[in-house]
This record gives sequence, C-alpha cells and structure tokens, in this order.
Amino acid sequence: MGGFLPWLMDPKRRGAMLVTPAIVLLFVMNIFPLMWSFGLSFFHYKASSVKPPRFAGLYYYEKVLSDPVVWERFQTTATIVSLSVLTQMVIGFGLALLFAKKFPLRREILMLVLTPMMLSFVAVGVFFKLFYEPTFGVVSYLYRSISGEAMALLATKWGAIAGIVIADAWMWSPFVMLLVLAGLVSVPDYLYEAAEVDRATPWERFKAVTFPYIKGLLLLALLFRTIETFKLFDLVYIITAGGPGASTESIAVYVYRMAFQFFKTSQSSALSYILLFVVIVLTNLYLYFVNRREREA
Amino acid sequence: MEIDMSRAIRTSGGLAIGAVFAAMVSASSAPALAKDIVIQMAAPDWGPTRFMQEYADKTYKSPTGNNVKLAIDFIPWGSFYERVAASMASGEKKYQLVVSDSQWIGTFIEGGHFMKLNKYIDADPELQAILKDVHPALTEAYATYPYKSKNIYGFPQMPDTKVTFYRKDLFCDAGEQAAFKAKYNKTLPCTYADWESVDWNTWGNIGEFFRRKPGDKLGSGTATEDFYGTAYQAGKGYDFSSCQALAFVFQAGGKIWDESNQPKAQAIGVVNSDEAVAGFSKYVDLLKYSPPIAKTGQMDIFAINDLFMQGKLAAIVNWNAVSATAIDPKVSKVHDKTAVALTPGTRNGKGEVERWDIMGGQPFVLTTWNSEEVIKESLNVVKWWLSKDVQLNFAKSGGNSALQSVMNMPEYDGIKPWNKAHKNLLKWQKDFWHIPEFFELLTQQQEQFDKAITGQISAKEALDNIAAFQQELLTEAGRIE
Repeated sequence: MGGFLPWLMDPKRRGAMLVTPAIVLLFVMNIFPLMWSFGLSFFHYKASSVKPPRFAGLYYYEKVLSDPVVWERFQTTATIVSLSVLTQMVIGFGLALLFAKKFPLRREILMLVLTPMMLSFVAVGVFFKLFYEPTFGVVSYLYRSISGEAMALLATKWGAIAGIVIADAWMWSPFVMLLVLAGLVSVPDYLYEAAEVDRATPWERFKAVTFPYIKGLLLLALLFRTIETFKLFDLVYIITAGGPGASTESIAVYVYRMAFQFFKTSQSSALSYILLFVVIVLTNLYLYFVNRREREA
Repeated sequence: MEIDMSRAIRTSGGLAIGAVFAAMVSASSAPALAKDIVIQMAAPDWGPTRFMQEYADKTYKSPTGNNVKLAIDFIPWGSFYERVAASMASGEKKYQLVVSDSQWIGTFIEGGHFMKLNKYIDADPELQAILKDVHPALTEAYATYPYKSKNIYGFPQMPDTKVTFYRKDLFCDAGEQAAFKAKYNKTLPCTYADWESVDWNTWGNIGEFFRRKPGDKLGSGTATEDFYGTAYQAGKGYDFSSCQALAFVFQAGGKIWDESNQPKAQAIGVVNSDEAVAGFSKYVDLLKYSPPIAKTGQMDIFAINDLFMQGKLAAIVNWNAVSATAIDPKVSKVHDKTAVALTPGTRNGKGEVERWDIMGGQPFVLTTWNSEEVIKESLNVVKWWLSKDVQLNFAKSGGNSALQSVMNMPEYDGIKPWNKAHKNLLKWQKDFWHIPEFFELLTQQQEQFDKAITGQISAKEALDNIAAFQQELLTEAGRIE
C-alpha cells in the first residue's frame, strides 16, 4: 500500500529524516543569524531605528580596524587571556597530578573541586565582587586582620585584572584538570615500571612517559580556554564593569556596549566578525599543531 | 494589547438568551458593548511601579466603560534598557506604555517608537490641566524633545531627586555636636532647618569628623568596626558618577554641552571650563572621606545605600527612591535613626547655597503603533495616574508626587521623611542629554570620571578628554557646527 507515511518511513530516507530537525534548528538558530549579521556589517544600520539599511561596503571594517579604542580593548583582552589561561594551566595541571594519585576521600574532594565550573558566570561574578568589596568583603577582612587597613583590590588596573584572573581561574582550572587527568590515568602502568627499571629520574619519567600522553590534551585545554577567555564577558562586566576607567574592558564587553548600548549595529557586527576571524585562526593553529603531531607520530 | 469582541457578539444572540444575558449584564456595571483592552507597560521592577500595578488592579476603571487592564511587565533594573531596546528593535510592538529614563527618549523618538502627544493634549482640557499641574522641571526633563522644546512625549511616572539621609542619633548627639563645634567652629546639622545651610565644605568636615576606628567613641556608644563619614555615588556603572559629579559642575557655574542650542553649542571650552574643573575637582576630593569602595570606582547608589543601612556611614546623598529602604525595619539596621534633609550645595558669591542637581526618576511614554482607541485608553491611564487622589496615595506608599497641587497640600511634607526635601529640591533639577548619542556620551564620560575617581588622571585631564570626545562625536553626528 502506498501513501506519504510509508514513503517517508522508507529506510533509505531514515538517515535524512533523523538529521533534518537538527539541521533546521542549526540553520534557524545559528547559520541564518550569522549570515544576517554578516550582511548587516556591510550596511549603515541601527537596530534602534526604523530606517532601512543603506549599503556601506567595507566602511565599518575600515572604521573598526582604524579605531584605537578597539586595539586598546584587544590589548586588555590579550593581557587577561594570557594571565588567566596560564594560571588555569598551572593550577589545573597541579590539581591533575594531585588527583592522579589515590588518597582517602579522593572522589568526594574531586567532586568539590569540579563544582566551580558548574556554576553560572553571573553567580561567580557576584561572589567575587562581594569577596573583593573593601568594606565588608572577605579579602579585605583578611587583609585588615594583618595590616589594619582595608584592601581595595579593584582600585588599580593590575589589581582589577588580578581580580578577574583569580575568579576565572577559580572557575575554569578544574576544566583543565579534568582533561589532563584523563591523560594521566591513561598512561599504562608498565611504562612507569619500565622507567623505574631504567632508573629514570622523576623529571625524566615525566618527560618521556607522562608528557607525551597528556600533550594533546594540554593543547586542547589551552585552545578551549584561550577561545573561551577571549570571549570573556560576564565576569568582567559584573566584577569591574571594565574599570577602573577602561583598564579591564575586554573586547567582548566593548562589542556589547557598541551593539546594545550605542546601537551601532553595523559597526558591532563588523567587529564581531573580526573577533570570529581571530577565533578561527586560533582554532586552525591548534588543528595545525595536532595534525603535525600526528604526522610526527 | 488584546481586544476581545466576544461580549459584543454574545449580545447579538437569540432573544431569550439575550434577555437572560441582559439581566446578567445589568447586574454588573460593565456596559453591554464594553471591550476588554489590556494596556501593556514596560517598567522597571521596583516599588513605584509595583504600587502602580497593585493600585490599578484595585481601583482603575476606564471612564469609557471599556474593561481596561493595566498589565505591567516588570523588568529588573539591571537589564531594563536592553530589554526595552530589544523590544523596540525587534518590532514586536508589545507595549503601549513604556517607563523610560529621560535620557533614552531621543533614541526611541528618532527610532520612531515613542509618540508625540501634543495633538492629544491640545484636544483634551484634562491633559492640559495635568500638564499645568506637573512641576515644570519634570515636564522639561521628562517630556520635551528636542530638550526644552514645545514637543511633549511623556508624563512623570516616578519623579525622583537626591536627598541627604543622615543618622540623627549621631548628628543630634550632644557630645558629637560639641566636638564638631570645637573642631570646625560650625554647627553639626541636626534638624532639617540646620541642613539648609550645609554646603559641600561642611559636608567635607562631616565626612572627616565621623571617620572612626573600632573602639572610638561614636555618638552615645563605641564603634565596633570601621565607621565612615559620608558618601555619594561614584560608580562607573550606568550614570552613577555623572549624576553626582555634574551637580558639583553646575553648582560651580560649569555647564555641559547644551543640546537645546544645536548646532551652535560647543563642547570644548564648555565641558572643560575652569568652573567645571573646579566643581569636578571638589567632587573627587570629597571622596576621600568615603568608605574604601570609593577607590574602586564602584561606589554606586546601591553600595552607598547598603553601607548606610548596615550602619557604617554617618550620611549619604542618594536618590530618595533608592534609599527609601533605609527606614524599612526589615532591611535597615538604622531604620529608626535615619532622618532626611536637603542635599548640600555650593555657596555662591552672595553667600547663598546653590543646589543645582541632576533630575532623577522616569516618565512614561506612549508608543507609536496603537489604534486611536488604545491611545485614548492609554491616555486615560495617564490621567488616572496623575489624578490627585492616586498621587496622594502614591506618596503615602513612598513614591513622589509629580503634581504641584499634591505637593502643596499641608499634609504632604509629613507623609514620608523625604517629601519636604524632594519638593524643595525640584526647582534645582536639570537634566542631561536626551539625544540618541546619549549612551556613547555617557559611557565615555563615566570612563573618564572613573579614571579621575581612581586616581589615574586629574579632574582637568578627565574633563579635557570628555570635551574632546564630545566635540568629535557631536560634530560627526551633525550636532555641532
């Protein structure tokens, strides 16, 4: 018996049927808005206005790239990314080495250590803003118990950057730890036993046995965290609002202001695509290193 | 907006059913052809708008006989602008009324979203009477675009001014008064009348005087933790430092770029005039008596209110709508020790205290996409809100009336501790930019003010940078010749 339903349920079409909803959703929620905003970056357009868009060519790309404020925000972002990712890698790596060993309550403590990355950015931002509050915050309280004076961590550029880096590292070091730990536990015991027979020092054991197993995962953690920190918005916006002055204003916060406060829709779209380009370059760099490693192996 | 014609359709049913229905209708007050109309209003989620919703639910009846319901969409303050802007930009046409900060109206008027009301006011003596009764400073700040023009776009929903909240247990303490007199040869203000002569120099003295360490005597007791003198807003977020710093600028004789005199008005030489620099320098200087959060540039209106309610400050200058919580026993440790007075000012050449300040509060405006019937019903809501009875009840719930006739009632001053100060300060209020470039001007100004507050640059450098930025931006926008 024929009909639409049997035709649709034909095993030949089943694969296409299964992926169609996901593709439609992806197109509607991701691809179409991306293409739309990409198109807007070539037009004079403000979302706050009912005036129709007018063609502008590459005007906004030129404007964004020649804007000194954009470059300042990129520098600030690069500083935060470098310090935060480095801190996360060091702490995450250290935690992974710690949890690779067996000790009482290991699983329970591991769960606790993983908790920060399960919290929302807004909650973490508010926690740390209150921690750093100089009149009643816990950081100032501890500092006051030693020095007798309140501590205004967020009063200076580097203090404010440190405040953001600490919050971001607190939240995301466990993610690095999780990846590295996966690599550490995958190292076969017989390799360590062989190294011990060869009387390898701990450093040699790490260099020759452990590191090759975790190198790829470390690179993956580095890439993920670099890309994510590059887009850092919530913590900066909540903890410092970009201050003092504009010394912690990341490029993501600047894009937000441009798009939703100044309503420079075209300009913010152009800047967003430049950011996307930077992220794509970073991703490709990672893929290049991974592929090269595979070729060498 | 929802218009339901079902009642009308039902009334055209069969005779018997009609008779029964007519009997039912006659038992109620609703006319047979009354429509159900919902007026959606976007509003920040706080006391003044919550009161409006509750009071409307209880008392509002449209004079047209339609069943009109005011439905307020309560939006948290933190995301209010973005939510309203997103609604406007999306074209969803959801709201008939919008509570708007006065600075946003240019953006939404030029975007085609807010409606000019002159033709409706001209045709309606009731609206004309309301407009005449509304304090002129409020109409000028909340409703006119271009600023100070004859075009009217809104009516006051919640007028606000900054006032001084102070600890009467400390300021009226005999020991503290004697010590203050001995140290500064000035009277420590205790009553409302005492505060009338307080200028910023005395405010500085108060700030210095009330800084105490744990163990120091404080009023009739002893300080158990660090206690700070005075605070006013100095936060980088939104318009926090601008709203206070510009008061100092105005009082010192300085000005901001005059949007009502486009394109002749200039920014350079005005924004960074010697008077403006002197005023802003005074503002920055007095922050040294504030709690250490001032050094971070995050001492916003909520931070100072929290610290005051925790009993860590002797006096604050803040919006009365925000600091109304200071007298609430549920949240304030100092609820029974708090009094309210005028804000300090700057003494002019004649020895008088000038209190020029930035207007707070918000108007509510009509949107452009509604039918004549809905516009009429929205204006009826406006008229209801700005009726004397509603405004008086609003004041009793903690709000500020916009009507001079209500503020002049003998009982008004005593309704809430801030009523008298609010009423007397309205004449000193000005507003800053309403043009669509407002947010860019504000963000850059806030950034520069914050640099000066946190000691990265001097007050003069900050104002020079602001003037240069404004000159360039406004010239590019065609607003400066």
